[in-house]
Amino acid sequence: MQSAARRKSSVDLSLLWKVFGGILFAYLFLGFMLLPCLSTLTSIFTTKDAAGHTDPLAVVRFFFAGNMPTFVINSLKLAVCLVITVNVVGISIVLLTEYFDIKGAKILRLGYMTTLIYSGVALVTGYQFLYDGNGMLTQWLVKMFPMMNKQWFSGFRAVLFTMTFACTSNHALFLRNAIRGIDYNTVEAARNLGAKPFKVLWKVVMPTLLPTLFSLTVMTFITGLCAMSAPTLLGYNSINPEIVRLAGSSVADEAFPQARAALLSIILALFTIVLLTTLNHYERKGHYLSVSKTKAKLVKQKIQNPVWNVIAHIYAYVLFIIYMTPVVMIVLFAFQNWPAVRAKSLNVGDWTLINFFGTQDYSYTTSRGKQKLRQGVISGVFSNSDTVGGIRLSFVLSALAAALACVIVVVAVNYIFKHRNKKRAAIVEACLLFPWLLPTILICYSFRTFFNGEVWYVLGKNMYYRENVRFLIVMAYTVVKLPFALRMVKAAFYAIDDELEDAARNLGASSLVTFLRVKLPIVLPSVLAVFALNFNALFTEYDMSATFHSSYGKSYAMVIQSMTAEEGRDGYNMNGSGRRCASTVFIMLVSGLILYLVYGVGARDLGERLERRKKWKRRWARLTGKKAASA
Amino acid sequence: MADMRVKEPKGVELRHISKIYKDPKTGKDFYAVHDVDLTIVPGSFVTLLGPSGCGKTTTLRMIAGFESPDEGDIFLGGESINALTPNKRDTAMVFQSYALFPHYNVFDNVAYGLRLRKVPKDEIQRRVKEILALVELSGMEQRMTNQLSGGQQQRVALARALVVEPGVLLFDEPLSNLDAKLRVQMRTEIRRIQQALGITAIYVTHDQSEAMSISDNIILMKGGVIAQMGTPTEIYYHPNSEFVADFIGECNFLKGPISAASVGEAAVNIVGVDVPVATDKSVKVGDPGEIVVRPEAIAIADEGMLPCKVELSCFMGSYQNYHVRVGDTLVKITDNCPINKKIFAVGDDAYISFDKVCAHLL
Repeated sequence: MQSAARRKSSVDLSLLWKVFGGILFAYLFLGFMLLPCLSTLTSIFTTKDAAGHTDPLAVVRFFFAGNMPTFVINSLKLAVCLVITVNVVGISIVLLTEYFDIKGAKILRLGYMTTLIYSGVALVTGYQFLYDGNGMLTQWLVKMFPMMNKQWFSGFRAVLFTMTFACTSNHALFLRNAIRGIDYNTVEAARNLGAKPFKVLWKVVMPTLLPTLFSLTVMTFITGLCAMSAPTLLGYNSINPEIVRLAGSSVADEAFPQARAALLSIILALFTIVLLTTLNHYERKGHYLSVSKTKAKLVKQKIQNPVWNVIAHIYAYVLFIIYMTPVVMIVLFAFQNWPAVRAKSLNVGDWTLINFFGTQDYSYTTSRGKQKLRQGVISGVFSNSDTVGGIRLSFVLSALAAALACVIVVVAVNYIFKHRNKKRAAIVEACLLFPWLLPTILICYSFRTFFNGEVWYVLGKNMYYRENVRFLIVMAYTVVKLPFALRMVKAAFYAIDDELEDAARNLGASSLVTFLRVKLPIVLPSVLAVFALNFNALFTEYDMSATFHSSYGKSYAMVIQSMTAEEGRDGYNMNGSGRRCASTVFIMLVSGLILYLVYGVGARDLGERLERRKKWKRRWARLTGKKAASA
Repeated sequence: MADMRVKEPKGVELRHISKIYKDPKTGKDFYAVHDVDLTIVPGSFVTLLGPSGCGKTTTLRMIAGFESPDEGDIFLGGESINALTPNKRDTAMVFQSYALFPHYNVFDNVAYGLRLRKVPKDEIQRRVKEILALVELSGMEQRMTNQLSGGQQQRVALARALVVEPGVLLFDEPLSNLDAKLRVQMRTEIRRIQQALGITAIYVTHDQSEAMSISDNIILMKGGVIAQMGTPTEIYYHPNSEFVADFIGECNFLKGPISAASVGEAAVNIVGVDVPVATDKSVKVGDPGEIVVRPEAIAIADEGMLPCKVELSCFMGSYQNYHVRVGDTLVKITDNCPINKKIFAVGDDAYISFDKVCAHLL
């Protein structure tokens, strides 16, 4: 009787948990994904004209009458050009380091992969610092080519140049893996049948890379279409910066600003949906997988023609210089004092750590000839209150969002796997993938406008008001990172043997205990990796930060952007560029550490980790033993 | 060793249990297990045997609680366990993949069930030590599971199941991941430990030799229903259907009309020869008859019962393998220890014969 009652109560409790979980999930999905985005969609058609009447087509008419198509065309132009340039550079760097026998390939690879840790707003501002009219590299180039336009680095050209080198990281990761997966016997077979080296590359190697290249092309196109930081900072009129500008505008300044922003974000969403659907359809056709059971490792191909070999080497090292110079320069300038950075000249005598730590006073002469002193205005990244505030805010918000995304996804994936092949599992998965279909800017814009008023289901508060915006940023960060987290965590759950769960249950563990003590520890390394990667991406994230930018939501990326303002006038924004370079070094260190932990330490299997642990223990014992002996 | 076990083994009863699944292709319901009714006595070793898809694993999983029967009741030690979740049932299972927790070492894997049962720490230490000694893994407590060989992993899985002293021990094809030699060694070990502890064991396999060597009783299943139950000897020598006869070892089927019938004996006319055969069935003259006879029960010589033509003659070391044609029927013969016997070549005419008690009328 007692056990029956206990069983009944445990059944009731589990039902209660399920109902609570279901309601919470529905609340989060409807409240923080569907409703804000639907509100943006409907806002286009509920715009009121000057007379106060609702005119569903007013915005559309205005769109074609005004300069709005220019933004769309500009974005499309950037996306198309970017697809070409990124593929040319991306394919080259992979072939040069993985397929052809180029001397110093390991060093070249390191150089080409620097964009993995040097990216986003840090990269854009860094390029701007080095390539603008007074930039050190532009000045070098002008010296070498006197006919060259000193102001070449602006607008479309600057955006395309910067993004081309910033967007090859995916090629460096995915195309590299694809080329490494090629069975070398197929290359040998083609050669054996009489094919020339170029023919082998073109007819045997490249076709097997096509599916990966197609995916990369689509992703690059979407990146170009949704570009934000480069167009904003380098001055190019594309869709995203315009949406952010319109979102902050009012009807007093221009016609239908909010509705136009909504329309632009919907256009972006439509493009994204079409492209991702195409990609999905293409991916379903499957990749070319080698059927070989004794796959041979790819052997690097020597370029037999000496002329082509020299050209390939020159091309490889020119690319290396383009990739590495900004990184090296930014690191060097991070350790230069303010006058040297301002003059954009490197001087061994001007080494300093002031861009990182400590403060210095600044004295200057006013226009009336008076001498003035401003105390502590030259400050390091970790001494400047604005910068530290930005770092702290970004750190907390990114960590919270990354953790929240992991928790939601782990619980959801556990549910999906428990109820696989059932409709409810498919619905949960679709809900979590929903943000993948929408451009980030649409989600952020929707959040900003929808929650900029009293919303009943968030306790009737205005979430865009004062400190509340931080909650909004966390939610937006979380929503945007859900699809990535889902795909990664789902892959980790696939690795769990079904029988492990059965074994735990059979030995007496409840569902909750099985989840916490068996499944979670197994997927934990992957979950931590997802957390780290999401944190890394969010820490210096620009697009969302720019949309939610306010004095209460000034993230690290926005602080870095503010450092690009004019320096030195009346002691304002002193050593901004130096601090920016130091910030970049700091970001590179953080990203490098995270990537090392995820792909370096995390990629080791359990046996390898245990071996290393043993080795360290032995070393430690030897060390302490020696110490004890010497003592 | 035997005094390790303090709990009484439990019997299992399945009363008309059925499990219905939906066919993913047609969308129609079908019986994975249909009206299975059986009793397993406490302390016995019973094997569920059958080809893939016959419902043996589903039956085992219903006993463990991973599947719930759509019809019928399951009793463990006389108590209905239908409503109990897997963690509340007094069973422990050894899985095909071993299902060892990769983040725990050997000790923690084995102690897992005891910890969940809130057994005091010192008792956990003692019991884990004892059980590891029983499965011959003493001294490997701190090893991670990926540092063990397949056989050792199998022993850890067995120890983990045994240490919680379950009423019934369940095995789901536990040896299928081992090589042939280790499989033979491990099945002897499993039987030794089961007998030493006197525990009730239900074992699922599709390997008939494994089932024969290890079991007190075999339950042969086909298409979700029980085809035959009995001791290994009963099933081998007295199969009740062509399927059972064919599934358990190699078999020859000689068909013809019944030519004579009396109590305990009958004769079947094969290619014009009346072949006597023992039977406990009541048959009538003129009925269709089918004799089942094992290859090793047939002798081949220059004279005998039925004329035949040799189609294959192959030396296999310990025996000579023959395929001979009797009328239209191909008959396989295992002629043991052929060194002192005449070896027939392909194309030779010969005779086959067998003792009537070694044959069985279906």
